[in-house]
Amino acid sequence: MAEPAVIARSPITPAEPPSVVDGWEVSGRRSGAGLTLVDCMPLAKILVRAAPDGAVGRWLGTPFGRAGTNPDGVLVTGSGPDEWTLFGPHGSGRALVGAVEDLSGERELVSALDVTHGRTLMRLTGAAARPLLSKLCAVDLGNAVSPNSAVFRSSVAKVITDVVRDDRSGVPSYLVHCERSYGSYLFGALLDAGAEFGIEVDGYTSTEMRGV
Amino acid sequence: MRRKAQATGVDMRLGPRPGEIIDRSRGLTFTWDGDTYPAYRGDTITSALAAAGVRVMSRSFKYHRPRGVMTTSYLDPGCLVQVGDEPNVRASHRMVEPGMSARPQNAWPSLRYDVKSANGALAPFLSAGFYYKTFMRPKRLWPAYERVLRGFSPGGAVSPEAAHDYYDKRYAHPDVVVAGGGPAGMAAAVAAAAAGAAVMLVEGEPELGGHLRWGAAPELAALGDLRRAVAATGGIEVLTDSVVTGRYDGNWVAVVQRSAPGVVERLIKARAGVLVAAPGLIERPYVFSGNDIPGVMLSTGARRLINLWAVKPGERAVVLTANSSGDAAVCDLADAGVDVLKIVDARSGEDVVRAKGGRTLRAVECADGTTVECDLLVTAVGWTAPTSLLNMAGDRPVYNERAARFFPGGGHDDVLATGGIAGDGSLEQLIDHGSAVGRAAARRAHEVSATTEIPSLPVEAHPALFKARTHGFVDFSEDVSSKELEEAVAEGYDSIELAKRYTTATMGPAQGKLESVNAVAVVAAATGATIAATGTTVWRPPYSPVTLGALAGRSFEPVRYSPMQPWHEAHGAKPLVAGQWIRPDHYGDPAAEVRSVRSGVGLIDVTPLGKFDLRGPDVPKLLNQLYINKWSKLALGSVRYGVMCAEDGVVLDDGVTGRLGDDHYLMTATSSGAETVWEWIESWLQTEHPEWRVHVARVTSDFASINIAGPRARDLLSLVVDDVALGPEEFPYMRVRSGSIAGIDGSFMWRIGFTGELSYEIHVPASYGLGVWETLLERGADLGVKPFGVEAQRILRLEKGHLIVGQDTDGLTRAYGAGLDWAVKLDKEDFAGKPELGWQEGRDDFLRLVGLRPLEGTAVPAEGSQIVEAGIIVGRITSSRMSPTLGRSICMGFVAPHLAEPGSAISIVAPDGSRVPAVVTPQLAQVDPKGERLHG
Repeated sequence: MAEPAVIARSPITPAEPPSVVDGWEVSGRRSGAGLTLVDCMPLAKILVRAAPDGAVGRWLGTPFGRAGTNPDGVLVTGSGPDEWTLFGPHGSGRALVGAVEDLSGERELVSALDVTHGRTLMRLTGAAARPLLSKLCAVDLGNAVSPNSAVFRSSVAKVITDVVRDDRSGVPSYLVHCERSYGSYLFGALLDAGAEFGIEVDGYTSTEMRGV
Repeated sequence: MRRKAQATGVDMRLGPRPGEIIDRSRGLTFTWDGDTYPAYRGDTITSALAAAGVRVMSRSFKYHRPRGVMTTSYLDPGCLVQVGDEPNVRASHRMVEPGMSARPQNAWPSLRYDVKSANGALAPFLSAGFYYKTFMRPKRLWPAYERVLRGFSPGGAVSPEAAHDYYDKRYAHPDVVVAGGGPAGMAAAVAAAAAGAAVMLVEGEPELGGHLRWGAAPELAALGDLRRAVAATGGIEVLTDSVVTGRYDGNWVAVVQRSAPGVVERLIKARAGVLVAAPGLIERPYVFSGNDIPGVMLSTGARRLINLWAVKPGERAVVLTANSSGDAAVCDLADAGVDVLKIVDARSGEDVVRAKGGRTLRAVECADGTTVECDLLVTAVGWTAPTSLLNMAGDRPVYNERAARFFPGGGHDDVLATGGIAGDGSLEQLIDHGSAVGRAAARRAHEVSATTEIPSLPVEAHPALFKARTHGFVDFSEDVSSKELEEAVAEGYDSIELAKRYTTATMGPAQGKLESVNAVAVVAAATGATIAATGTTVWRPPYSPVTLGALAGRSFEPVRYSPMQPWHEAHGAKPLVAGQWIRPDHYGDPAAEVRSVRSGVGLIDVTPLGKFDLRGPDVPKLLNQLYINKWSKLALGSVRYGVMCAEDGVVLDDGVTGRLGDDHYLMTATSSGAETVWEWIESWLQTEHPEWRVHVARVTSDFASINIAGPRARDLLSLVVDDVALGPEEFPYMRVRSGSIAGIDGSFMWRIGFTGELSYEIHVPASYGLGVWETLLERGADLGVKPFGVEAQRILRLEKGHLIVGQDTDGLTRAYGAGLDWAVKLDKEDFAGKPELGWQEGRDDFLRLVGLRPLEGTAVPAEGSQIVEAGIIVGRITSSRMSPTLGRSICMGFVAPHLAEPGSAISIVAPDGSRVPAVVTPQLAQVDPKGERLHG
């Protein structure tokens, strides 16, 4: 049976012009604005639950509330006391799950779940990223409390959202992810809040497909 | 260029002043009460009108007396106007804009001839408590009274058609918030920032500077220095035209930013390490007869008008002065060309008795017996310390007789005071004090020191001047006079808090900042107590009135969409708001959708179903705890229906759970109950059984879920699945399989049914949901596949007799009442609700859920209709629909136990009062009760 070419779609309607990259419908827009929002839905996202002091916890090496990039270029975020969310290149989900499961021993309860399709992931980048987020989120985003690599889960525009500060070349940048079904709403709320700062939607490139 | 107003033919604009804030190169026009007036950028509505010689800006709330400028500030009680569609605009604060249309309030038919000013003649009868006393009886006439009284209610009007504006909110976490941008406030901000603190400096006026702005050359020089220091010091966020409206526990500080770019107002929720209150002092009006006549102004008001807006406040003036502000006003008036006819020096015991005039001041009668004809009376009799923000931190102000004003009580580590409310002294002393407070605030915010010593400011002597020997207005906002306050005391309201509430003094838009000390002084004099013993009223948030728009801010109402939402929208689905989800209710004809499912095959988007991924060896223990039925022997690849009850035995949710692997399960919950179930699961795992080795993840959004239902369901599924055997033997009812659907790996198929038909619930990775949905419709075209919505699903399940938790159960429905006896396994070791259900099992006094069939097949009693017997309610309808399959109406409902037997006749009372006779059916299912279609 010849299967149809079913493409993967983000919950966020791609900004014009749309294109298909590696089986995903994405936006081909290119923006030079000082504040941009990118839909990063295609990136692999893995939810890991394990004991912080177990083999997997030690391997991941990132404590709760912080993020770090491992030697394979995977961004490991400590999203809960015994929980991590991993972000890898497009299509790497199965390998990441396997890597985690290979490490788990007989006695340790470890679960690795590919949530690529269940989490909407966006990247907000620019000098005004912090004041924009402060319109939607009550957490102190200052450097003392939320420095680069900080990770927290909070209400953003009244949606339970994970926020990862992941600056790009010294420019403030935040990865924002929530349950997929809220993705379109949250994307819109970020654009609405960013209007006064001149926010623009930027497209998703194959370069970004390689990771965050 | 002179810009005389055509409407008045008067030009009171002065030549350039050193500190003026108008831009004479940018002239504009606006309208006031229908006439066009000239103005400059930087003018307020009242400064522009005053420059055109306009004296009456509004009518007062109660007596409709003509009122004009008094303070030329935000507090001006007689200058609330309507601007466009916006009521109650502070005309002495709001800048004019080109084309602005401003109108007076509280006046009909015109500001000049206001019919309701007849209230003034009735003033002797409209004393405090007039409404309470007069309109109590007869009680039956109150509706009529109310209609008349509402016609007298003050304020402007908002059109229901008014366009919505953009109001905003944001959060902030500064180390130090400085409330007040006068010299002490600016110095505090600079010192705190220099010490490393992140500072938010909040100023109510459009510019920093406080009283320095309308001062003489030395003050203006100091102002320049301080502004430069603020600008040069990093770490200070300056918010002008903004106000700290409240201080709450934990130094949660509310700031309203009135003129941020792109937004009308913004509410800033700031969590401050330390709050520095530096609001300065507010000049007190003097109480005497005629003190509200247009032309009677405070010294600061006159000086602001002259020096900020270059407007001459009058031609011939009398000045009552008891301090340096009054003396400075004399100089400014003379400099502006005003003929100062008489200086009444209160420090020498001189006084005024009354002001005379109507729409404008005509003369002032002095205590020495002289009467001076004039159009301007300037008073400078003392100050009020607005200690509101300190009061909100628990501070109680203390009266200082020497200074004749209240001071903060003190003693707070995280709320400090500086500037005029903390004491007097030279400008240098105030700046030094501000700097010391700023440094202390930074240290305290960084928890370096909690008790840093702060030097005191001197306290200068000031005459205690509150009221002349005549009565006048104490509260200009509410039209409360000193006479009314004395009468209130005479009636027994002899506490300032009682007198305040009885007379409404201090309760108007000025919120006590102009009138509270005078009210205290009048009450003290009337009771014979001292001002110190009388005390003050309590200042509570907000410090300044806040618009509803600012409180509301942006509307965040999250909505959730399925991956197939674009298809639903494109194909005319009527949206159904189901909690946060937007779902297709139907695609035009729900009955046709039902028939399509019964006769062929249909698709419904069931993505909102709650879905949970459960892993670990102790999952069976968790399932046994959550569900009332048994779960220990669920075979691999099997699915079981389960019912959850709360600990009181009330039905909480239901759904199916399938076993995907040895220690891997997938649980579903109802769409509306998913969040509750998630919290319920986590509650058991985190608080009751943390030792259980279980990991649970919410995966509702991870999968696009589609139910394929109808006799051709298997045929349709087989068109997109080739790695799973779909035959009835290989894939029987209540089983789950994983595989590839339309080429999408990682998909699941459940053979279950809510509609009563052969059906498969498929779950595909959400990003492919739309593609799979379209593929099913495309490939199933020859099978006649049609989408169906929630309404059709509700009909189908009612025909089949499946209950919906929350629809056919309520907050009192225990499992036995819902007909779930078969599921309750009291022989299990434990489960949520077991004790209560054990108790219910032995009783026979609860309502039962039954199927019902109206005798008249066209009658569909509304859901919620009562079932009655001999005038007593014995049940209610929970679900009712016209069944397209049976061609008649069917229902489900609760009935008393003696009516639950099949064949029992019942009587339903429809909302219109008509009776609908019905009979109890043998079982809940009214279509295919034996399940032959389901198992097909």
